[in-house]
Amino acid sequence: MRKKCYRFFGAFLTAHSNWLNKMSEKGYRLIRIGKLLYEFEPCTPGQYLYQVEFVADKSKDNAEDYVHFLEDIGYRVFFKNINLNYSIGKIRWRPWAEQGGKISTNKSTFNHELLIVEKTSDGKPFELHTTYEDKAEYCRQLQKPWLFLFLAAAIMGIIMRTWIWGIISVASLIVLIMYQIEHTRLRKLSKEKEW
Amino acid sequence: MRDNAKGGALTEVTFYILLSLYTPKHGYAVMQFIEEKTGGRLSLGAGTLYGALNSLQDKGWIASYGDDTSRKKEYLITSQGKEIAQKEFVRLKELLCVASGIVGGTA
Repeated sequence: MRKKCYRFFGAFLTAHSNWLNKMSEKGYRLIRIGKLLYEFEPCTPGQYLYQVEFVADKSKDNAEDYVHFLEDIGYRVFFKNINLNYSIGKIRWRPWAEQGGKISTNKSTFNHELLIVEKTSDGKPFELHTTYEDKAEYCRQLQKPWLFLFLAAAIMGIIMRTWIWGIISVASLIVLIMYQIEHTRLRKLSKEKEW
Repeated sequence: MRDNAKGGALTEVTFYILLSLYTPKHGYAVMQFIEEKTGGRLSLGAGTLYGALNSLQDKGWIASYGDDTSRKKEYLITSQGKEIAQKEFVRLKELLCVASGIVGGTA
């Protein structure tokens, strides 16, 4: 029996992967995804492990190169959207992305912000980033969009003098600070040990 | 931890990747090589390995190997990479020699 679920996790990447791992523990393997849809088929409980990875900072070519690398290793990879956006012909400006990924359209990286990576369990924990230096670097990539959102919302709030932008800027500032604390912690650890 | 190319000291991740690539390997084989040689002490995540391989390629210590038509991308150490590994080997040997005289053991 196939099972369909509708969920939206947005930027909560850990909650996203935790849920997929819990589904796998219950005996459901992910086979298809949509904007909100997750379709599962029965599997041996705990046979598959999941990680959700943020790749919106990468250009289209580099994101695809990374996916090929992961597939070569033997993982299954799905592209996933981080936002809900149903309109056609979207363009996004990502000043925080790398060269070639700064302009995101629905032909390139738009709605391809996340990767869901599936590994067949071999009894060991599944982590994509293992050295502290790499963890800190990944944390920095996760942080950048929040800095942009904070600045954009603060500017909008000042120009338009509406409280809604104020709330958004304060909320993104909180996330920004949380990532900053985590980044500082990882940076410090990376100076003491390699992994 | 960062590689110190001038002084010779490499991170364990870098040195093991260089050693693994004396024969051409794809990503998964590099992961397996390192896990096997360290008895599971060092297990690299795929994202970390991807970043490390790309940065070693940018430095010119390793290069992609073979034609692009083969399904899996393979890597191989370059002559520059071998030079770096050789220097690190000499440095570690000296260190080991000094240490065995002081700490003892039969190394």
